[in-house]
Parts: sequence; C-alpha cells; structure tokens
Amino acid sequence: MSFAEVKITKEPLMVILPILSIVAFFGIWQSLLSFGVVPSSLLASPLQVLKLFIAKWTQVNPDGALLTTHMWTSIQEAFTGYILALLVGIPLGLAMGWFPIVEGLARPIFELIRPIPPIAWIPLTIFWFGIGIPGKVFIIWIAGIVPCVINSYVGVKMTNPVLIQMARTYGASNWQIFIKICIPSALPMVFGALQIALAYCWTNLVGAELLAADNGLGFMITMGRRLAMPDMVLLGMAMVGLTGAVIGVIIDAVEKRLLAGIRR
Amino acid sequence: MVGNNPAVKNKIEVKDLTKRFGDLLVLDKINFSVAEGEFLSIVGPTGCGKTTFLNLLSTLMPSSEGNIYIDGDVADPTKHNLAFVFQEPTCLPWRTVRENVAFGMEVKNVPEAVKEERLDEIMDMVGLMDCANLYPNQVSASMVQRIAVARAFSVNPDLLLMDEPYGQLDVKLRYYLEDELVALQNKLKSTVIFVTHNIEEAVYVADRILVLSNKPTNVRAEVVVDLPRPRNPMDPKFVEIREHVTELIRWW
Repeated sequence: MSFAEVKITKEPLMVILPILSIVAFFGIWQSLLSFGVVPSSLLASPLQVLKLFIAKWTQVNPDGALLTTHMWTSIQEAFTGYILALLVGIPLGLAMGWFPIVEGLARPIFELIRPIPPIAWIPLTIFWFGIGIPGKVFIIWIAGIVPCVINSYVGVKMTNPVLIQMARTYGASNWQIFIKICIPSALPMVFGALQIALAYCWTNLVGAELLAADNGLGFMITMGRRLAMPDMVLLGMAMVGLTGAVIGVIIDAVEKRLLAGIRR
Repeated sequence: MVGNNPAVKNKIEVKDLTKRFGDLLVLDKINFSVAEGEFLSIVGPTGCGKTTFLNLLSTLMPSSEGNIYIDGDVADPTKHNLAFVFQEPTCLPWRTVRENVAFGMEVKNVPEAVKEERLDEIMDMVGLMDCANLYPNQVSASMVQRIAVARAFSVNPDLLLMDEPYGQLDVKLRYYLEDELVALQNKLKSTVIFVTHNIEEAVYVADRILVLSNKPTNVRAEVVVDLPRPRNPMDPKFVEIREHVTELIRWW
C-alpha cells in the first residue's frame, strides 16, 4: 500500500549544462592567468592550486604544517564547538519553547547575546584561552548555539495545538506532552538547525583562525597572504569549501534516515 | 436506555454548566445526564457554541460555573479515562498506525502485556491490522479517523467525546464507519457523546438526542431514538424522528 517510487529521468540537457559551466569556469580562470591577463601576484591558476594541493600532502613548508594537519585541527575545533553547541542549544531551545519558566529566564539573555557577531568575542577569548584550540571552540560554540536554540524553540512552538489537546484529553502530564508530542514534532526543525549551525560553525571557525591561530585552514589562508602566495590562499579556501560541503552531505543523509515518518 | 431512567446508573452528570467570555454568555446552565453505556448525540444550529461545549466537557477549558461529574466526581483527565475524537486528524505523523493507537494507553501507563493484547484486539475490530506498520501519511482519510477511534476505545473510556468525526468523509463511507462505531460501542459498552451537525447521522447512531438552542446555549429538547439496529434511514419511523429533530432545530 506504500507509494511507488516515482522515477524522474534527468533531461540530457540538465546533465550537460552543469558540466559545461564548471569546465567553462575553470577554463576561463586558467586562461586568464596563462595569457597574463591577470598578474600571478593577484591570483593563482587552478593548476597551480592543484600542484600546491599535491605538494602539501608531504611538504611542511612554507607555512609550518601539512595540509592534513591544518584540516585535522580545523575539523577538531569545528566539531568540538559544534557538538557542544548542539548539546546545550537544542535542549535549551526545546525547553524554552514549552516551559514558560525557562523561556522567561533564558530568552532576555539570549536575545542580548544573539546579535553580537561571534567574531567579536575573539579578543576576549585570546585573553581567556590564548590562541590554542579552546578559544576557537568557544567562538564556534557561540556561533552554533544560536540557530540550535532558535530552531528548537520555533519547532516546539509550531506543534499542532490539536495534538496537544488530544494528549491532554488522555490525561497526559505537561512533561509527557513535551516528550511525546512537542519534541518529535519539533524534530524536522531541529534537523534544519543541524545544517544551519554547522554552516555557522564552519564559517566562524575560519574567521577565528584568520585572527588567532598557529594552525588550521584559516591560519593557512592568512599565511598565504603573509607569504604573498595566492595559490595557498586559494587552496585554503577550496579546502574550507570542500570539507564543509562533505559534512553537509553526511548530515543530510543522516537526517533522511532518521525522519522516515515525517516527510517534509 | 435513557439518562433519566432510575433503573440505569447515570455515568455522566452535567450540572449548571455555564461559560462566559467577558460579557458574552455562551453556555447557559446546561443540565443533563448520560447513562452508563449510552450513546448520546448532540445536535444544534451552527454557532451554538458546540466547540466551547465540547472543550468544557473534555475539561480542556475551565467552566465559569457548574461542572461535569463522572461517577459522582468532578471530571479530571488524569483520574478518569476520557477520550476525544476530533474533527481534524490527530494522528502523530512520526508514529506508525499501531503506535498511534497505542498512544492513549501509553499516556495512561497501561502495562505492556495488557497494552499489546488490547492493541491486537482493537486493531482487529476496526480493520487496521493490514496497515499497522504504515505511517499515517500512507493511509487514507477514513483510516486516519479509524486510528483516532481505535485509540479512543482502547483506553476503555469512561466518557468518549466525538466531534463530528466523520464530517469530512463521503456519505457511503460514513454509513460504513458509523455502523462500525455503533458495533464497537455495543461491544465495549462505552459511554459516548457524539456531536454532529448532521441530523440523519445523529438519528442513525444515537440512543438519545439532545437538541441545543441558539446562543446562549441551553438544552432545548430531548429526543429518544428507540429504533432497532441496524437502522434504516428510509424507515418511516426513522424519517419521522429525523424530521422532528430538524423541526426542533429550526424552531427558535
């Protein structure tokens, strides 16, 4: 009785066009530099970036660490901050959505802190933690917690009131309604938060590393600027983009598996 | 089986039930009683405060004056077994059909073994066995209402409230589900208050019909339906009762 999968065949044009645009993009970029239209002090060609990418697997210099070391530092920082943001932000947001006491206490402070860009915390974190990993984790935590709280809060608030009434007529307690109705019903919004928070964490990580770091992809970009190596800047940017995209895909897949019953 | 019959125990008693919103008097001292195992229909003109009335009966909303008593005690959903079948679908989309039916018993902490046994029984009665493991968005609208009805009966309700549960279904399906409902009620001996706009439906299912007046709402009349079941809507007696009730609603 379940639905038959509807197969959508892609039109050949929709396969060719994206390939065409990517090839054209890199082609034009490469030729701008090959023919000297743009001086190599301003921009590196895709081939140069690729060459550096291969070299950085084994070469520590000139920026002081292997590409994998930079990536590992960044991922470690991002994930620690991200997980902490989820662990604090989601329960807080869910509780704010259902329990008036929590909403009354937490909302004003949250609304005060929320508009401050996470990067503005950097000077304080340098006082507190120096330029090591904990400071960056703190910045990322601040960045990631905002969407977690907001989405979980809104998700609970959006619970269909008839479902809550239904549970009440069966004599469900406030806590039972929260656990059995509000949280499952907020889940699609919470999963939305996972994606948004990750994007926030990742962008702010790079911001934090640009300003205060001795390691990591953001640091690599800064080093590229200091050493006047556009290829290193671009490589750093490309790695940030790629890693972020891969993590996004993974979270999307996890979400689809967990939310089998709720079709959005 | 009539609420005023001294031979049958009154399960539900509504005394002086009154609701005001500011200066607006919506319900004006409603009094009636329902016998144990009785199937009571409530009909009334549109805008007669039907929703308010149900919200008070289900204790979702506090009354301004008066109360509803179950077995002599003031109704309390944490103490009594109340169940409410809403007009709109109230299935939890993240639960399978079976888990949805189990929800009421889960809230009431029915022991696991009893719960499973009753689930099997009730799911079989309403014909939900085949789709037990599907999600609500994979079954038809009539199935969705059946889930709600099964969930309601599964807690052995002291009082089952129904708010036009079949209002959005077509006529044929409606008769079918009404038959099913009457059969279930007969078997499980639940006390039912069934609110509807459809007079034919009321006469078809009920032992007794209360006709409400316009706002401020009061009980304007009581009609006993002593027809044998299954009922035939073409039967002259059926038609007579139906027209009588229609007349009562129009008369104000």
